[in-house]
Amino acid sequence: MKAAIPIWIAFVPSSIAWGIAAQDHGLTLEEIVLMSAWVYSGPAQFAVLGPLAENKSALQVLVAGSLMNLRFLPMSTALAPYFSGVQRLPLLFSSQVVSASSFIVPYLQFQKEQVSDIPRAGANGHGNLAFFLGVGATAYSIWVIGTAVGFGVALGFPSGFDEALRFILPGYFAGLLVVEMKSWAMALVCGASLVAAVPGALASQGWGWLITAIVIAISVWGVEEWKFRASKLS
Amino acid sequence: MGLVALGFRAVPLLFFAGRQFPEKWDRLLRYLSYALLCSIISTTLFMKGARLETDAAPYRALALIVAVVIARRTKSAVTGMLVGMALVLALSWMR
Repeated sequence: MKAAIPIWIAFVPSSIAWGIAAQDHGLTLEEIVLMSAWVYSGPAQFAVLGPLAENKSALQVLVAGSLMNLRFLPMSTALAPYFSGVQRLPLLFSSQVVSASSFIVPYLQFQKEQVSDIPRAGANGHGNLAFFLGVGATAYSIWVIGTAVGFGVALGFPSGFDEALRFILPGYFAGLLVVEMKSWAMALVCGASLVAAVPGALASQGWGWLITAIVIAISVWGVEEWKFRASKLS
Repeated sequence: MGLVALGFRAVPLLFFAGRQFPEKWDRLLRYLSYALLCSIISTTLFMKGARLETDAAPYRALALIVAVVIARRTKSAVTGMLVGMALVLALSWMR
């Protein structure tokens, strides 16, 4: 739970900000809470506000949001092996709280335990799910409540503090990744994605950053595989 | 949109729970996840909508570098984040 505290702190201003933005774009309180609870994806929720306000077609709204949410696919797939023995119904309900934040904290923890000799108490499929939900469900609740609060409350932070609040989540994610960084390949994947995401997003706001990330990951993996095969042959 | 998001989240958990992927596929998934997270870090920090925040990008980048170095040295993501936050705050006030 301690590991989730920075996520909670970061979710408060961003969820309130989304609530304010959504109200500004004409959504009602019910629509705001329902979208936060059902979609639970900050980037996707921000991405669809424009198309919704402009009365674009449902298909355009769906495509804009789904592109942003594609990132959940590899994240859930990477988490899945750690939930051994858990039944499908709890998994189905738990999957709703998968987000970048609730992915990275448990995933790095599970990986650390996998290579460590001292496992966490209850570090089986159910124990891992409980750890995941401790991070994910609390962050989810804060997000949903925060967006509702944002509907009624204008952000009162002095402008200088916005910068610090905005830094919490990316700064924490970067810190988590760099602490666990062990190979040149991981450093290359992270460094290249960090640099290439902005040009990618400038080229295409919806697709660009996603495609560059996928291309970089597959390229580094491909080079590593090629080197591995070459070393086996020689 | 919520249903599509749930599908992306739930389908892998429901069908791959407890299964160990071959090492090379496991590595590919790890790289994909890391790459997507780093892309999110970058776009969250440097962009607003479809626009690059050119005035704030240099000091945010500096704060990110400092946060990463501190986190690596202290082996604490929170320490790195706090130092980065303090730096970004100080730099934005000096601007």
